[in-house]
This record gives sequence, structure tokens and C-alpha cells, in this order.
Amino acid sequence: MQIRGIMIATVILGGLAVGGVARAQTISYADAVTTLAKDCGADIKKLCKGINLGNGRIADCLTKNASKVSPTCTSSLDSVSAAIRQRNDAQAAYTKACQHDIAQHCRGIKGDGYTLACLIKTERIVSGKCNQAIIDAGWR
Amino acid sequence: MMRKHDVKKAALWTALVAAAISTSSAIAVAQQVTEQRIASSLGKLTTAAPIIDVALLREEAANGAGKGMTGLPNWGKVAQLPQMVVEIDFQNDSVGIEPESYRTLGLIADALHHPNLWDYKFLVVGHSSATGSDKHNLDLSEKRADAIREILSTTFAVDPARLFAVGVGEYFPIDASKASTADNRRVQLFNLGVFR
Repeated sequence: MQIRGIMIATVILGGLAVGGVARAQTISYADAVTTLAKDCGADIKKLCKGINLGNGRIADCLTKNASKVSPTCTSSLDSVSAAIRQRNDAQAAYTKACQHDIAQHCRGIKGDGYTLACLIKTERIVSGKCNQAIIDAGWR
Repeated sequence: MMRKHDVKKAALWTALVAAAISTSSAIAVAQQVTEQRIASSLGKLTTAAPIIDVALLREEAANGAGKGMTGLPNWGKVAQLPQMVVEIDFQNDSVGIEPESYRTLGLIADALHHPNLWDYKFLVVGHSSATGSDKHNLDLSEKRADAIREILSTTFAVDPARLFAVGVGEYFPIDASKASTADNRRVQLFNLGVFR
């Protein structure tokens, strides 16, 4: 009974993990900060003169001046930070998600760029997990 | 002592340089910058890039005024590489980047995160126009190059070990006959070759 319980839990958790990967909708860094510039540009110019994105300083400045920042910018700030994190996580997940497919279909290919090109070319026989990782990473 | 820049919009240029065929020095001024364009420009590396010592480059720039990039032993090596130019706007006499240029920074980050460029390290070179004292311009250009390096390595999580920054002030104008022109306020990004 106990073993079966563990097995069921594994199947459910495994399913969740796959579902989680498939659902991850990520956007490029460029699109993320374009949204920030659009929604927060005026507030940044007014309240954060001379301050840059690096080390979270724009985010800190906008948070510190929360009472003067537009509501659109406040909500955008959170979603942009999340979007950047998601894209970064998705790219970090690629190597592991595609490890098996690389060994299987792209063995002996040198260079990360050529390896990715091979995976994209063999899309039809590459695992769903790897294909999804490539999409989430923004490389297709 | 320190004269301020009198041009409102500091137009900085980011030239993306791939260490490649040393015969052609193709400078493409970007009408429209895309990640693909950055990636393909930087991906042209076919030969080993020269070994670069950032401290040496800094010194060489400050002491070699008037000679131009190509006339100096170390800068000459990188100056021959193909480049792509994009524009980044800074606030007047400040390291603050205008929000309008965030997208360009993001595009560079997207390109540096692509597997095609994983293997490479990059040098961010800050330039200024000749408006203001040369010492002030040298400092400002260095801070601006540092700011870009910091943004790429923190906001956009590019491994800081892949990124180097140096300011060269007004010493390498794009157009020496118009040293005060805004075109000379720019940042170049050089591909320094294989990382590690």
C-alpha cells in the first residue's frame, strides 16, 4: 500500500513538473525592459535621475518613491522582474532538459550554438521536454 | 575646471565586434537593432581573438591620444575586427541611461544569453565626445562602460567573468575632424574570444 502511495505521488508530482514546464510562458529580456520603459519611463525620468537598472537600483528607487509612482508602473515593475527571472530560469533549465536528446541526436557536435541548431533541426524526433525548454529559453 | 557636456542627448554607440577575418573591418550602422543581428554579427568569430589586457588598453588609450585606435599596438588588434553599431542614450553628463535605451540593453543581453555566444567574453568600451576636459571625459566614459557591464551582469544575469569594461574618453573619435560631435559618445562591445 505504502509503495503504491509513493508511486501515485511520484506520478502526480512528475505530471505537475512536466505541466509546469509546458506552461512556462517567457518573454525576451528586451521585451521585458521595453515594458518597463513604457510603463515606468516617465516615473524613472522624474524620480530616479542618474540611476541605472544595475543591481536592482531602478526597482529600489521606484519602491522607495512608491507613493509618487503611477499604479501602472508599480504593477509593471513586479511583472517585469518576474519575466526576467522566468526567462533566466528557462535558459538555465535547457542543458538538463536537452541532455538526453543531445547525446541521442547531436552527439559529436562541437559548440553550443551548433548543438542547439542540431536540436532545432531534429525537432520532430527531439523530446517534448527539450523542445519546450528551447521555446521557453527563447531560442526557437 | 570640469566643463559640462553641452549636448543634451548623449548618443552612445555600441559597436558589437566579432573577432574574425582580420582583413575586413566592416562597420555596420544599425538602422534597426535586433537580437538576431547582434548575434549574427558577434557569431562570426572564426579565428582566435588576441589576448587583451584591460589595464594595458586603458593606459595605451590615455597615453596614445591622437594616434587613433589603429595606430596603437593593442588597440590596433581589436580595431580591425568587424563591428555592429547600436545607439544607447545617456542623460547629459551622467551615467544614467535613458529608459528609451533599455530595449537595446535587453537585446544585447538576449544575444549574449544565446548559445551561439556562450563561449565568448566581451569588452565594453566607453567613448565620449571632445566637449569638456579630457580627464572628465575619460572618467565619464569609464563610468558609463562600467554601468553597462553592471546592468548586463546583474539585471540580465550575464556572467560577470565574461564582461570587461574600459573608458577611453575622447581619445578615439569616430570622426577625428568632428571630435565634439555626438556620434563620438558611444560604447563599443568587443568580442574578446573564447571564455576560459
